Amino acid sequence: MTTSTVAPEIAKFAAAVREALADLPEEERDELTDGLEADLSESLAEDLRRTLPDPIAYAAELRAAAGLPARARKRGAFAGLAQSGRDTLADVRIAIRRNPALAAALDFATTLRPLWWVIRAWVASWVLAAFFGMERGYWFDGAWWIVFAAFLVVSVQWGRGRWLGKGVPTLILVGNVIAVLALLPIRAATDNGGSGGDGSFDRGYSAGADSVLNDPATKGLMFNGKPLKNIYVYGADGKPLHQVQLFDQAGHPLDPFSHAPGEDQPCADDGCTSLIQAARLETGRSAFNVFPLSLIRGKWDNEQAATIPMPGAQPQEPKGPFLKVPAVLDTKKVSKSNH
Amino acid sequence: MDATQLLKGVLDVAVLAVVEQEDGYGYDVVRRLRAGGLEEVGDASVYGTLRRLYTAGALTSYVVPSEEGPHRKYYGINAQGRATLDVQRKVWAEFSTTMNNLLEAS
Repeated sequence: MTTSTVAPEIAKFAAAVREALADLPEEERDELTDGLEADLSESLAEDLRRTLPDPIAYAAELRAAAGLPARARKRGAFAGLAQSGRDTLADVRIAIRRNPALAAALDFATTLRPLWWVIRAWVASWVLAAFFGMERGYWFDGAWWIVFAAFLVVSVQWGRGRWLGKGVPTLILVGNVIAVLALLPIRAATDNGGSGGDGSFDRGYSAGADSVLNDPATKGLMFNGKPLKNIYVYGADGKPLHQVQLFDQAGHPLDPFSHAPGEDQPCADDGCTSLIQAARLETGRSAFNVFPLSLIRGKWDNEQAATIPMPGAQPQEPKGPFLKVPAVLDTKKVSKSNH
Repeated sequence: MDATQLLKGVLDVAVLAVVEQEDGYGYDVVRRLRAGGLEEVGDASVYGTLRRLYTAGALTSYVVPSEEGPHRKYYGINAQGRATLDVQRKVWAEFSTTMNNLLEAS
């Protein structure tokens, strides 16, 4: 045997070329690449500035010049589908190229491809978050960005034609379709989280992230999704009741504002001209579950940077929506059974 | 007009003509084509063309072992190759005359 003096990079290159021709019959491949190392060695020795080309492109050129068909793809159900999709795309591209205006639009869209790589990574991380049912919270903030960063790297590498293993191009095609379909609901979801409604992702995101603690929509009493400010109670006879204490099934007081001790007194209206005044229990504690809740006139206090009760003002029970409501029909039955 | 596009159509006859002068291995043929003025010709295109002409029966091939490196695969022309080359020479002569006349007339 000849002592091989082939440079390692040439041996590696020749192996990569043979790998790219692996779909050909062995005999055909050997014929095509026989003497490749010798030719390459000589070619490189003669022109020192020359660098080895891309083995895949080299193999394609070799194949085309030899009159052999382009690399046959493994035909799975999806691969066949993807291939025909690619063929159709190629046809469409040719048709577009014939029209100058469309060709210019296509060129413009092509320069925007990196933007798409970012968007699909962004969508993928949201889809993943949705899949695992992640609640928005402080920990979610960090985890989401890490996942997004990882997806972004993969997405961009794929976009640049790197990291393309077996079956990955099909995966990308399917993934792209899913990403486009998922884009709309995700946009809507993040807009809701934004609550400001200005569409700014960052603001919407941070608003979503601390919504667990601060979002009024997640605490207190709701009716059809809207916060309750007060509850007016009428007895069986239809007349208004006063200072009725309400509790839930577990014995928690029904505080419409989930008011925590030390918090500012809740405003009774948007302008905060009056405040909700808690009732005082015999234990000395104040209670916000005594309905109808009383209001007290408020004034802005610069020192406390909050609206405080107007000095000297008395809490007043607001007028209910009705002076009287229809009485319950079987009043007597109820009163009997109560005895 | 792109010379590399034109080259695709005439690479066969160029390779046949080079090999007719003297048997050659892959890179040797590339070097002679470049020396002859086809500087843009790609290695792989030439190797593939040699392989195709061999499969088509226009070339013979033989391997020459090398003392200090990998073996070389030489190609030589045969009778069928010469016949093909003669036909293509005539085709090229007619075609180039036609093109020259067309381009000079205008």
